Amino acid sequence: MNIAVILAGGIGNRMGIVDKPKQFIDIYGKPIIVHTLEVFDNHPEIDAIAVVCLNEWMDDLRILLRKYEINKVKWLVEGGETRQLSVYNAVQTLAVECSDDDIIVVHDSVRPLVTHKIISSNIAGAKQFGAVDTVVPTADTIVRSVDGEKINEIPLRSELYLGQTPQSFRLSLLKRAHEKARAEKNINSTDDCQLVLQLGEEVHLVQGEKLNFKITSFDDLLLLKAVIKLGKTEIL
Amino acid sequence: MLGKSFKIVEPRRFDLYIDDLVCASDEAIVKIEYAAICKADLRYYLGARDKRTLGFKYPMNLLHEAVGSIILDRTNRFKVGERVVLVPNIVPKEKHDCAHCVCARPDLGENYCPNSFFASSNYNGFAREYVNYPVEYLLKIPINLEPQLATFAELISVAISAYRRLSLNGKETIGVWGDGIVGYLLSTTLRHVHQGKIVVVGKDKGKLRQFKAHAHYLAGDPKISEEELEIAYECVGGGFSAEAINEIIDQIVVGGRIGLTGVAEEQVGINTRKILEKGLSLYGVTRSNKNDFEKALALLENEKFQADIAQLVLKELMINDITDFYRAFEAELENKSLGKNILRFNL
Repeated sequence: MNIAVILAGGIGNRMGIVDKPKQFIDIYGKPIIVHTLEVFDNHPEIDAIAVVCLNEWMDDLRILLRKYEINKVKWLVEGGETRQLSVYNAVQTLAVECSDDDIIVVHDSVRPLVTHKIISSNIAGAKQFGAVDTVVPTADTIVRSVDGEKINEIPLRSELYLGQTPQSFRLSLLKRAHEKARAEKNINSTDDCQLVLQLGEEVHLVQGEKLNFKITSFDDLLLLKAVIKLGKTEIL
Repeated sequence: MLGKSFKIVEPRRFDLYIDDLVCASDEAIVKIEYAAICKADLRYYLGARDKRTLGFKYPMNLLHEAVGSIILDRTNRFKVGERVVLVPNIVPKEKHDCAHCVCARPDLGENYCPNSFFASSNYNGFAREYVNYPVEYLLKIPINLEPQLATFAELISVAISAYRRLSLNGKETIGVWGDGIVGYLLSTTLRHVHQGKIVVVGKDKGKLRQFKAHAHYLAGDPKISEEELEIAYECVGGGFSAEAINEIIDQIVVGGRIGLTGVAEEQVGINTRKILEKGLSLYGVTRSNKNDFEKALALLENEKFQADIAQLVLKELMINDITDFYRAFEAELENKSLGKNILRFNL
């Protein structure tokens, strides 16, 4: 089975909006999380979906799933304090019903422009290698500064990529990575691939797309709105 | 659901759009997999229509010859993954009350309805990742048919409509003028559905030789008149339409019938005196309906017919992004061979 884990446990404190988390913000009549879920729900290779959500927003999510006829969501998992703990909760839930060889596609709910092609490459990559990360080459030069005042290093651009999601894994590997991290009291990782690397396992790259950006600020929200032009142009 | 789409916004300029697809209760969402570029698409690409017409058309998704796979069907008629051809002409149910309704007329049909929509003409076409489409206008492709070949279903359906419109008895001798893809598809289709003799007339000897016909002539050959053509189809179009139509008028028998399939931007001067003298009938036969598509797909089940159509596939062009899409249009503009490039969408 190929299972999507959609992370919607964040509160979006970088947005300034206080009445709802960013994944529930409406974009032309549909919340961001619904746009994201629809891509997975309509993907022929995705068999089931788990959504990790804040407890107090669980009912709102249930209403949206019903209203927009999202049919593949099988598990609603309570979010943890950190991203890592949220994924861990999902892994724990899935481990009960799923087999070790199942593929877990972990994706941010606030990346609604993920495509079927990216999801398919993730599934194929995870089946072949056990762990893959979606990346895009960086067009800008990345500067490393420890104190935020002067440059320490300018790493070689051709070796640098920007990490996106999905990140996809064989369930057994993801489980092992999280258990090791917990045993070592590491609970603040923002990236599951990091945990897999700490196991000494390889993580392969899958090509993402610039448009698969994450909505974290108002600028991103503006960009997303500009990008989604409703395809209802009247033609005579 | 969000999906990418390429719209033409001005001559030789496509923009990437992200469309939000809403699947209605009588619709399915289809992932576009294969498509082909038609001459009408090229005219929009080059802006070869008058400015006012283009002002009403742009921005628009081009392409109306396409095959896709079902990813969601609200009606449960199709299974996820099933391959379908998209019939590009849609007659909206709510507007189906014209004073002189032609939809039910067997000779004309829904594609001549003034209220109908035609993809990539007065409605968005299939140059996109997904399309939500009425299931009524989706047709499952035969299991033994390669999807690349199914993109020709639209042109074959036009050939079938051209045959249907002239209500033939099956035994007439038919002349087909034009050595391009329409002429090839029409003569090939006629060979499979008609028992009478098929004669083709063109200017390019090399191309003409590939045609499935009983006799081949270069335009201007006086021997054409010996064929006693009762029916003729003009498949030339453009600036050479007049030349071809006038030769048909000269060569066809008294009382003959002529089907016109070529599109010309300029008005065409034809010998009306001779039309009157010989009592000829002219028919416009470029539009097919859903029933013609069904017949086209049934014909495409025939493996011999498939082999004849496969000769038209030049190259498969992968469309990974909008730059590939530009390249495909430029390649089709340059194409002088008998056949088409097939676009494989991988967006």
